[in-house]
Amino acid sequence: MIELRSVSKVYDGVAVVDDVTLTLERGTLTAVVGTSGSGKSTLLRMVNRLVEPTSGQVLIDGAYTAVIAAPELRRKIGYVIQDHGLFPHWTAARNIGTVPVLLGWRRADVRSRVRELMEMLQLDPDVIGPRFPHELSGGQAQRVGVARALAARPELLLMDEPFGALDPVIRAQAQADLHRVQRRLGTTVILVTHDMAEAIRLADRIAVMRAGRIEQFAPPADIIAKPATPFVAELLGEGDRAFRYLSLKPAADVARPDGAAEGAADGPVLPGHATMAEALSEMIWTGRDRVRIANPDGDPGIVTREALIRAGRPE
Amino acid sequence: MKAAPFVRLALWTLVAAFVLWPDLFAPLLRPLAPDGMPVIYDRARLADLTLWHLGLVVAAIIPSALLATALAILVTRPSGAEFLPLARALGGFGQTFPPVAVLALAVPVVGFGAWPTLIALFLYGLLPVLENALAGLSGVPRAVMLAADGMGMTPRQRLWRVELPLAAPLMVEGVRISTVIAISTAAIGSTVAAPGLGEVIIAGLNANNLAFVVQGGLLTAALALIVHDALGLAAHALKAHRRVTVAG
Repeated sequence: MIELRSVSKVYDGVAVVDDVTLTLERGTLTAVVGTSGSGKSTLLRMVNRLVEPTSGQVLIDGAYTAVIAAPELRRKIGYVIQDHGLFPHWTAARNIGTVPVLLGWRRADVRSRVRELMEMLQLDPDVIGPRFPHELSGGQAQRVGVARALAARPELLLMDEPFGALDPVIRAQAQADLHRVQRRLGTTVILVTHDMAEAIRLADRIAVMRAGRIEQFAPPADIIAKPATPFVAELLGEGDRAFRYLSLKPAADVARPDGAAEGAADGPVLPGHATMAEALSEMIWTGRDRVRIANPDGDPGIVTREALIRAGRPE
Repeated sequence: MKAAPFVRLALWTLVAAFVLWPDLFAPLLRPLAPDGMPVIYDRARLADLTLWHLGLVVAAIIPSALLATALAILVTRPSGAEFLPLARALGGFGQTFPPVAVLALAVPVVGFGAWPTLIALFLYGLLPVLENALAGLSGVPRAVMLAADGMGMTPRQRLWRVELPLAAPLMVEGVRISTVIAISTAAIGSTVAAPGLGEVIIAGLNANNLAFVVQGGLLTAALALIVHDALGLAAHALKAHRRVTVAG
């Protein structure tokens, strides 16, 4: 569990982070969303003490971080930055092994850990491992950066706009990878981003920051349903609200057995994990008012347009 | 580029042959020497003078490069940042002083011989190394520095594992410039009785013997070329896998 207690950072009399109090549960992914200059990166860097708070405390699992030597603290916390920040004179494999080497692991242990991570992130250790950062594609470099951050099995992972430099296709892949890795390892993640859609897709909770303060801290569904301030609403994009909300809910929630529907549906069967937004999009695109959705327990279910529209508005 | 190894080998062979058996080349230089005068410098062996020359350069450049590098490291640390302009100014001042003036000023203090030359070479070696080391150290990308800190490197680990390796090609480049300058400056040292190839040139000028001037001058130039080439290879090897931007 990560606790920030009245944390502030003042530069030249200006509070970049202003009295922020947050509690992040273990194993969750929290997105900190804000425009540039909102203090979100500074907030993140106060967790691993790359920036020292002017006032307030940061606690990890009940321990004050201020009393742990900064390098020692940082070795226990994974850190991913925009533009990956890989060491240009080291191979991908050596980059990934950075923290284990700093911690004095045995060479064989470092090597096997590097292989394990590369395989988990779908990087071929024998092909990508010996390459230098400038020989990697943007997506590969980003994954090497994530592998480096995870190398010493940190329980906490800080990510500062980790997908900012990627093109949309690779970005979606990287987001899916992060989701998978985070669920598998149970790592607590704090993700800084300016992209609300990214936050909604990935986060368990979203903290919206503006001018150094937290405007709202809530699960994505609540942020969409009840934006606390006009700024939060603006970040969401008023026009997309309903679709954003639908994109959070599985379509299977409103599916009925095939037989119960008046008039059977035809057309393709959506996968079982499809969201309501995907179901609605499929209807609009194919000109139907009902679609079928796969059901692991039996025949495909039916999702109707009326059901989606009813579900798309929070009560 | 394929010709480079052959040119390199030919130059080395030619210089070695000239230094070890200068009499072989006497027929070539004969037309330059006045009648009745010796063609090859005979008051000392060319091999000894070459070694002295290089010895002076090495003895001055090594401490000079070490000091300049240490200064560059110091002023790029957070605690030494305020001395950065001072370090630059001092290095620049050393460079604006003509070598002859340094020799002239040093002689009354340390006397004739090798010392005034060592002092001049030492001072002249500082700036190129300092400038290049500063450029190299401050040219490490911000994201890389942030990552080094974020991974939990101590400042010392960051310096040795990240900053110095990334700055190394530029630093070697600085040493290369310093050394080449020192090889030519060391020749002037012979005006205040420093042993070296300058002795041959000066003897030639005094005796109006062009053969001496040419052999002293060509050998000095050849040494500078060889060192320039060798340190260039070293710098290239160090940055073989690096991004070009680091050198920018």
